[in-house]
Amino acid sequence: MKRFNNKMLALLLVAISGYGLIASCTHTNDPIPAAVSTGIIINHGGHIHLPGAVGDTSKWKFDKAHSSVNWSTPFMGVGATLTGKFNQFGIADVTAANMLNYVTTAQPLPDTSWAFNENDPAKTHFNGYVQVNQVNTGEPGRDAGCLIATLGTTAIVAGTQNLLVTNIAQIKTTKVEFDPLSNNYLVTFNFTWKGTLGAPITKSIVGKLTYIPAAVAGTHREFGLSLAFQINCRDYGITSTNVADVITIQVNTNFNNQ
Amino acid sequence: MDNSFLVSLSKLELMAFFSGYPLVYAVARSFSGNLKEKLGNSIASLLPLAYALTGVLFVGYQLKKLFPDYFIENITLTIQQPYLVLWGLFATLFFIPFFNKKPVLSLIHSFAFFYFLISDLYLQLFQSSANNNIIVNDMKVYVSSLLLNMSTLIIVVLLSFLFTYYKKHKKLLL
Repeated sequence: MKRFNNKMLALLLVAISGYGLIASCTHTNDPIPAAVSTGIIINHGGHIHLPGAVGDTSKWKFDKAHSSVNWSTPFMGVGATLTGKFNQFGIADVTAANMLNYVTTAQPLPDTSWAFNENDPAKTHFNGYVQVNQVNTGEPGRDAGCLIATLGTTAIVAGTQNLLVTNIAQIKTTKVEFDPLSNNYLVTFNFTWKGTLGAPITKSIVGKLTYIPAAVAGTHREFGLSLAFQINCRDYGITSTNVADVITIQVNTNFNNQ
Repeated sequence: MDNSFLVSLSKLELMAFFSGYPLVYAVARSFSGNLKEKLGNSIASLLPLAYALTGVLFVGYQLKKLFPDYFIENITLTIQQPYLVLWGLFATLFFIPFFNKKPVLSLIHSFAFFYFLISDLYLQLFQSSANNNIIVNDMKVYVSSLLLNMSTLIIVVLLSFLFTYYKKHKKLLL
């Protein structure tokens, strides 16, 4: 009788365990569904953005107040990153005739030297500049002091926009194409700067352009373009050992249709 | 962290130690009759000792969890289900001859933890909203517990035979 009870108990427990085993079956032997593609989905829309006059909502205006030109480089080539920006810049083709001192606090030239075509990069182009003496590292003593000589330029004159050849670094696109590895664009452009040299030199550089599609922002629409590239400052006669050879530059521009 | 998660974890820990014992007990008792009488009786009588050994492992696990702070505040904070844990600690009492002479008490003691598995299976069977992952988890823990309880039984049986063998040979030598 006792053995019978034990056998009954064993059978009952085996039955419960067996049910648990069946109920917990995870079907791990079922064929695994095909893996989702991890490839980058490249999808260029059809946006076309062109510059125009204020008030024309079908055209786009450079939003300088919400744009920036930032640079960064390892301190002394080995340390943590040293960063700065340029307070004055624009999207204009500064020709030899336009290289002047402009007595104004506004943009000295119209920021209209650009076009962007999302699905036809051959039609995308832009020209831009920075005023080198408007460098801002957050240390006024350094920015208005030793950096002026380091960068081979002249000090800021209050109320004047200095677009002289000694004070501007320019970019002019020569080719814009799709980046085959991402949704971005590869931009080939000429980077011209005098630095501390006797005359400006031009180097062809390739950067990456990112388009942030147009969207409603309050009462108007905005879109963005970001350009990232690197220059070798030694090419332009910069000898300071406080900065590394390679300077990374990040241009963030916003445009609106107001 | 949600406290119910810690309570659930504590329940699983207890299941991992003790829920496999009823099946090991029932199978060992059932099949001990088919073995040579002496061997069968021996395995059956050693079941409570194996259970007590599992209890010792549980005590060790609790001490490891509390290490190095054995103060009452830490104990109350760390141990989520004190009554259940206390019940689990009682398993070590089966080292005492009074308890290990009544193997059925060890079975009753372990049913408190086997009940968790049965209740989860019941919920899964009769409530369609029950989460199957709970059963999957329970079964993993249950299988671990079976292996642990089989291991402790094998260890105790081996030690018992070694002890008997040693005692026999010691007598012969004397």
